[in-house]
Amino acid sequence: MALSRRPGRSRFTLALLLLTSITVLTLDFRGSSAIHSLRNAVSSAFSPVRDTAGSVFSPVGDAWNGLFHYHDVKKENDQLRAQVEALQGQAAVNADAKKQYDALAQLDGITQFTQLPSVTAQVIAGPLTNFEHTIELDRGTAKGIKIGMPVVTGAGLIGRVTDVQSNRSVIKLMTDPDLVAGVRLVSSGETALVHGQGDGKPLVVDEGIDPKVKVATDEMVTTSGEDRAVFPGGIPIGRVSKTELSADQLTQVLTVTPLADLGRLTFVKVLLWEPPK
Amino acid sequence: MRFARPAFVVFVLVTLQTTLLADIDVFGARGDIVMLLPIAAGIAGGRERGAIVGFIAGFALDLVVHGTPTGFFALGYTLVGYFVGMVQAGVLRAAWWIPVLTALGGSALGVLTLAIVGKFIGLEVPFDRKLVTIALVVAVLNAMLVLPMMRVTRWALPVTSRGGRLVTS
Repeated sequence: MALSRRPGRSRFTLALLLLTSITVLTLDFRGSSAIHSLRNAVSSAFSPVRDTAGSVFSPVGDAWNGLFHYHDVKKENDQLRAQVEALQGQAAVNADAKKQYDALAQLDGITQFTQLPSVTAQVIAGPLTNFEHTIELDRGTAKGIKIGMPVVTGAGLIGRVTDVQSNRSVIKLMTDPDLVAGVRLVSSGETALVHGQGDGKPLVVDEGIDPKVKVATDEMVTTSGEDRAVFPGGIPIGRVSKTELSADQLTQVLTVTPLADLGRLTFVKVLLWEPPK
Repeated sequence: MRFARPAFVVFVLVTLQTTLLADIDVFGARGDIVMLLPIAAGIAGGRERGAIVGFIAGFALDLVVHGTPTGFFALGYTLVGYFVGMVQAGVLRAAWWIPVLTALGGSALGVLTLAIVGKFIGLEVPFDRKLVTIALVVAVLNAMLVLPMMRVTRWALPVTSRGGRLVTS
């Protein structure tokens, strides 16, 4: 590669490269099939390399995390033990209520999300850089997964499929501000829209809840499943952790803490449910 | 054969970024070793080379990661490589710590550039303490690795001259 000392030429090269980048970005945003196919082809070809290198380097990552996050892990372990004990008691109480609810739902012909067909998948990659908020799963179209399908864990909704290849799929997490879901407050029955606020931050409901409606802290929030909803109804999302009035005092702003730990996902279920078109 | 070495270096760095560095969490941030390549190329070969290497490395990363639009890293790294090369052109002294300092500043600037580009194209970018943490982590890691990376860059992209002088690595 010949080097130029002329600023004019290097500025021209810079302009050319920036223009190419912006063109590629524009094509990607417009859903260009050429860009999509190229990315899928490279990603698929690179997958075996990444899997192999990943298994070679995983002990290094584990050692690092063990060394520098030992106290966090220990503290979390203690918290989880306490939580498991509390949940065991609660599960016994809930078992009876669930039985009654299942019987009623069956009578009314309501499909619950737990009854939907699903594919269990392993999270094979979290965000690879500092500017991503997606995870990657080891299942794709070969198992019937399609774009738009909801993804859950035992705790509740975690996100939605945004890209899929034959044996991989990409999930946009609930914390992404672009992902909006129709929700229902379980006690009051109020419906509204929830969206993310970014990585590591709680979700927020900032419109649709009248200031007069009484919303208890710790109230459960589930998907509403209303007409043309992007998620089926009844999937737990989180609990209200804070309520306040909006600046114009016309609505309540609810902070919702997700039930699922979105930072530490290992196995998830993709519900084979497509939103109505 | 001319492109075999640079292609190999880009391939290794992208593999390291998407495996080893993706797993290592430092105060909630990850290193960005691919960004180091345009920085090293900018230091060793000037702004034009920095920009070209930045574009190629960024585009390669774009094709492998899944959460950002294609062209995002290509755009960001092109700017990083160019600016680092431009800054380096004004440096007259040759001391070992100058590339280290340039990598430190260039990486922090690179993270900020990516954040601004990200915000501009609608990505969720944390313009708060988290961004400062990311910039610090990336900057420190890249400053530590810039000297070996410059050797790698000179091996992959031999420089024949810089400022009229013969460059020996």
